[in-house]
Amino acid sequence: MLELQQIKKSFGTKDVLKDINLTLSRGQIMSLLGPSGCGKTTLLNIILGLEQQTSGKIIWDGEDISQKPMQERGFNIVFQDFALFPHLNAYDNIIYGLRNQKKGIDEKSVQEYIKFLELSPHLNKKVHELSGGQKQRVSIARTLVMQPDILLMDEPLSALDGVIKETIKERIQSISREFNLTTIIVTHDPEEALTLSDQVVILNDGHIAQCGSPVEIVNAPANEFIENFILQQLRIKRQNIYRLFGEQHD
Amino acid sequence: MIKTTMLMRGMGFLLLATFVFLLALPLGAVVLKSFEGVDGWTLHNYEQALSSGVLKEVFFNSVWVSTIAAVITTVLAFLLAYTIHFTNVAKPIKKIIRLGVTLPMLLPTITYGFVLIYAFGNQGIFSRLFGQPLFTIYGFNGLVIGYVLYTLPAAFLLMHNAMQYMDHRFIIVSHLMHDGKWRRFYHTILRPMLSPIGGAFILAFILSFTDYGIPASVGGTYDVIATTLYQTMLGSIPNFSQGAVISIVMLAPAVLGMITMGILERGNVSYKSVSQQVAFASKTKTVLFGSGSVIVVIALLAVFTPLIIVPFTTAYPFDFGFTLTHFQAVIQMPELMNVYKNSLLVAVCTALVGVVIAFIAGLLSARTNLKSRKAFDVIAMVTNAVPGMVLGLGYLFFFNNSSLKGTFFIIIAYAIMHFFTTPFLMVKNALQKMDPSWEVTGALLRDSWLQTVYRVILPNVKRTLVEVFSYYFINAMVTVSGVIFLVTTHTVLVSTKIKELQHFSKFNEIFILSLFILVTNIVVKIICEFYLNRQSKRG
Repeated sequence: MLELQQIKKSFGTKDVLKDINLTLSRGQIMSLLGPSGCGKTTLLNIILGLEQQTSGKIIWDGEDISQKPMQERGFNIVFQDFALFPHLNAYDNIIYGLRNQKKGIDEKSVQEYIKFLELSPHLNKKVHELSGGQKQRVSIARTLVMQPDILLMDEPLSALDGVIKETIKERIQSISREFNLTTIIVTHDPEEALTLSDQVVILNDGHIAQCGSPVEIVNAPANEFIENFILQQLRIKRQNIYRLFGEQHD
Repeated sequence: MIKTTMLMRGMGFLLLATFVFLLALPLGAVVLKSFEGVDGWTLHNYEQALSSGVLKEVFFNSVWVSTIAAVITTVLAFLLAYTIHFTNVAKPIKKIIRLGVTLPMLLPTITYGFVLIYAFGNQGIFSRLFGQPLFTIYGFNGLVIGYVLYTLPAAFLLMHNAMQYMDHRFIIVSHLMHDGKWRRFYHTILRPMLSPIGGAFILAFILSFTDYGIPASVGGTYDVIATTLYQTMLGSIPNFSQGAVISIVMLAPAVLGMITMGILERGNVSYKSVSQQVAFASKTKTVLFGSGSVIVVIALLAVFTPLIIVPFTTAYPFDFGFTLTHFQAVIQMPELMNVYKNSLLVAVCTALVGVVIAFIAGLLSARTNLKSRKAFDVIAMVTNAVPGMVLGLGYLFFFNNSSLKGTFFIIIAYAIMHFFTTPFLMVKNALQKMDPSWEVTGALLRDSWLQTVYRVILPNVKRTLVEVFSYYFINAMVTVSGVIFLVTTHTVLVSTKIKELQHFSKFNEIFILSLFILVTNIVVKIICEFYLNRQSKRG
């Protein structure tokens, strides 16, 4: 279980994050949702260990990891546009981190990930020959083979074509289920956050505006910000889609 | 994109005609001259040049000394650029490194040689400091040091730019994947930098191979191809057709190098996004690279100290009293002040006309569908590959019997052509980045194309044009290689006057004139920087 206790982050006199308290159970998907500049990426970086919180604690499975360096936390990240090494092919990108392990490469388990992510036909392709979705799957495979405790994803859908977004959402959910993998996703899209995750954390101006399951958020918005900016958008979307199919929502 | 109009075609035609007249025909003249015999076309000139051992010897001298200099330059440039981008050295120190390493660009290369003599020669400042000369400065050593000083800024800027566009998130990935030091260095820095490193080496090599100023001043008896070409053309027994052959021999490696650079660039690693720099450097690395770079920059600046010491001492090296008499003497010499005015005139005209030409070429190339627009890319490649001495020689052959001979016009035209590549690419890149629908928007709002260019494009490209102005001005101020063939007693420039003063050992005058160039260039740079800063604050 991941716990954040009173996390605070300031740059100079500006508080980017104030009093963030969260818990996330193993195997769950959590979204950090909010408008740009709300502090969600900073929070992601703090969990990853890339940035140091000004104060507060991070606890993973009962151990205080607040001061642990990034490499030793055992978390991993899939970047927004994937950060694949352009001089290596898909396969070499996938096993990039395994080459650093003394025990060598367990080819069987690598193949399992490759099969699960349907990457077998693309292994010899150069990075620039892959489509956006394939790149993302290679990037996910590269982190999964390292068997991270938590998978962090920075805007996983925003660099992809609209048409494949729904499939990718399903894929992220199935990865989390299949490997019982705790997943944290940063997004600015309410629909994405609410349809993808078990738990949604809505950030506004550096603090948590609401934290709960998608159902809770939709049925009991905690304040006006949630009501006006999150739910209103979804209602308009719903209306448009119903109108498109010639139906009425009751 | 907007439809091609007669106006665009007309502008394209005029500009191309200019390049034919000022670039293609002079270069053609060199080629023709190399095949010209007493009676008709012949290969005799080549046979003669290649059969004599002299040309072979100087060619290999040039290749050898340029290679050594290029290796040293590449290593140093990498060290400096790496320190700036991948260590936590304090920002002001990074700025000093950046400015320090580019300072030599503001001086003509011929000055470097004389500075080296006064630093490391028998009576040099450092020789006196250590009690004896550290090494012989004339010949090979002097050439290597001079070439390194000359090529380091360009090589550094190339790597500095490349590193600016590197994606620092790969370093995060590498850390997360538990890479060791060397594996991280290979995958996140060395591998993506391979092509810029190769590019920097080739650039340093070509610049050294084709430079005239440094061997002219400090070459001693170590003959290189540039000095041989000068001797053949303007020595006691001028031999034009032999000169043409030598310049073709000089052109060959330059062309080869540029082609290789083009191929290397294709293998360039391109990153989709540029990330914020992440400070991952350990303290040891920061201290190690930081102090290494600072030492390089201090050594580099120290070499130039004679420039400010010698002309202000009463009688170097016998009387070290401070004096302004040499300085006052130069100011009161109308001959020398006229030379300075000539240089200023050439630099201002080159910069003004150069900005116009680079802008029009960039505009037609980036924002029209003109069929001839591809030609400008070819032209930019040609001006990049042709050494200054070869182009200068072409002008000499082509304009020799015309009324343009010995005018400022051909010097300015030469400078605009010779330095065309960088300004053109600067303008073109800037224009390409701009929204492609501006012209259509303008047209829909009832602008003519020229009005849109004037009202929308020009204001948005102003910053780049100021940079182009500064680039042209400074380079015109320091250029030596080609203009030595073009100046007459009326049009003599500071950089060529220095060559003349060398014969009379008037080193105080040489250094004071060099300081004039340096200060003028610094002033122009500061004015341009000031303007750019003000602009960016507003915007």
